[in-house]
Amino acid sequence: MTSVTLGRKPHPASSLAQQVMGEAGIGIALLALVAIFTLSAPKFATSDNITHIATEITLNTMLAVGMTFVILVGGIDLSVGSVMALSAVVSGDVLTAGGLSTSAAVLLAVLVSALVGMGCGLVNGLVSERWRVPSFIVTLGMLNVARGAALQYTDAKTLYDFPESFNRFGTSTLLGIPTLFWISLLMVAVGHLVLTRTVFGRLVFAIGSNEEAVRLSGHRTGVVKVAAFVIAGFTVGIAAVTYMARLNIASPILGSGYELNAIAAVVIGGASLSGGKGSMVGTLLGACLLGVLTNGLLLMGVSDFQRQMITGAVIMVAVVVDHYRGRLASRLVARP
Amino acid sequence: MIRKPVVLSATAALLLATALTSCGQEGDGATSDGTSKGGKPTVCLVMKSLGNEYFQTMEKGAQDHARQRGDLTLTASGIQNETDIDGQVAAINRCITDKAAALVLAPADSQALVAPLKRAVKAGIKVVNIDVKLDDAALKAAGLDVPFVGPDNTEGARLSGAVLAKALGKDGKVVILEGNPGAANAQQRKAGFVAAAAAGGLRVLDSKTAHWETDEAYTVVSNMLTAHPDLQGILASNDSMALGAVKAVAAAGKKNQIKVASFDNIEAIRPYVKDGSVVATVDQFAAKQAGDGIDQAMKLIAGDKVQGWVKTDVKVITASDLG
Repeated sequence: MTSVTLGRKPHPASSLAQQVMGEAGIGIALLALVAIFTLSAPKFATSDNITHIATEITLNTMLAVGMTFVILVGGIDLSVGSVMALSAVVSGDVLTAGGLSTSAAVLLAVLVSALVGMGCGLVNGLVSERWRVPSFIVTLGMLNVARGAALQYTDAKTLYDFPESFNRFGTSTLLGIPTLFWISLLMVAVGHLVLTRTVFGRLVFAIGSNEEAVRLSGHRTGVVKVAAFVIAGFTVGIAAVTYMARLNIASPILGSGYELNAIAAVVIGGASLSGGKGSMVGTLLGACLLGVLTNGLLLMGVSDFQRQMITGAVIMVAVVVDHYRGRLASRLVARP
Repeated sequence: MIRKPVVLSATAALLLATALTSCGQEGDGATSDGTSKGGKPTVCLVMKSLGNEYFQTMEKGAQDHARQRGDLTLTASGIQNETDIDGQVAAINRCITDKAAALVLAPADSQALVAPLKRAVKAGIKVVNIDVKLDDAALKAAGLDVPFVGPDNTEGARLSGAVLAKALGKDGKVVILEGNPGAANAQQRKAGFVAAAAAGGLRVLDSKTAHWETDEAYTVVSNMLTAHPDLQGILASNDSMALGAVKAVAAAGKKNQIKVASFDNIEAIRPYVKDGSVVATVDQFAAKQAGDGIDQAMKLIAGDKVQGWVKTDVKVITASDLG
């Protein structure tokens, strides 16, 4: 274990410097974007708009937290959007079933949503571990299974009419910031602590860097990898309830393409798709950057097609910049 | 050492995934042996995404209608998503292989489907176009004359927009939420809204797509509210987007200041029509549309002539209709 950890981080001080540099790059990009939009869109830097941005990035932040774990162990989860729809319709059914008090129904709905997500994550993890199938393929399968199941479950109908208090909570704010966004920040914080302060977190990084070495040093890598998918499933379940609380509906076709936004946030945040490199703070900044970009371009009145091109281009630029930033960081660290 | 099993299992999984996908494209479990059962002609109904509530309703309506008529065998199929043109081409080819007597098609694209339709016509299959009209120029270029049985999306949107225009009065400030760029019904609904705005003296401040989607509409409308604080009305091209718009308006604390006009009349929109957040939506009677399409196809099979546009009902739904 020790040797593995040291193998990835040769020197504690240098790793810190590297981390600061890593986060600073994306932080600077975010600040630059904010500056541009503040100058070009007068309504950008208003408190109302900041609330909007927080609302808009909530779902993606939650999904990206789970995705970070999966990407760090060298996997990928393409089933996120579909599983979110399945979680939403099953727990939406619980919410509208009646017979329970509102608070009991809501609690049960959250539990069911999380369990459905974790169940799908467990299947993703187990299948890809047990039969050594790339998670890309397994989760592609799950993408279809979960979407089909959601449609089958609802007969393609949209569920609605959730309890009033549930919906009020979904649109409530705390200190001017949407309550749901605070929850997503809490998830980022817990994810950060798990990654940086626990043995499990260390193993996640180590497996992504060199799985064989971790295995040889006596750790059961399979358990850790499956756990990463289950964590991702959990965040999907919470995101599903968040969607329902905010929009007051659960539709079997919701969430399509959300997995790609989550992956984009994680990668813009400096994670490597081959695993072992990335951070929760980076992921949060990545989600913020995507949210700010969408919001700012909409406020500037940029056309739909141009917005799509610009968003794509920014993702590409972020990855290229990340390449050079990594080099720069190691050069700085290498200096005496 | 484990290299080979990995490749093998990856291939197996990929095959499985493909199988799943194509299952989705084949749609329901309709019979595929196309030969007429007991002398009854086979009518192929090819729709868009069955994941869409609208086409679910359409399929059920078609099955019921076929059972009621009792003089045909119906095979219904759908595709993966609204833009899965390939899936529709494959479905049409299956109808040709099955030697169906007639084909009733809700095209995913009003131009791309003309070529495969021409193959069907050449194979002696009678073709009826429903839901979204095929492009006239493309039909003419292919030398086809395909009757259209369907609603007037432009007219529907115009009627829905007119209710909003009346509610807001002259100089009301509105925005439009568009469907998928390039989709014919999205363009027609937008045109209808624009016409209603012009007739009612509304000012259209902005027009953006939210890809028919609730969450995206929430985001787009939130931003429109920031950019245009004096906004009074929203013209949403379908109910899913209207749901997102209503929530964004409520979140901005403008519930009673901003009204929404919408389209489709799905069940989930009704509470908002009742409470006045949505002043109007439009019902195109999906179930009846497919039935009408089948009736016209049967006429063609019987040798009767069907031409031009057989308009199906569009009805504006307001709070008074829902009681």
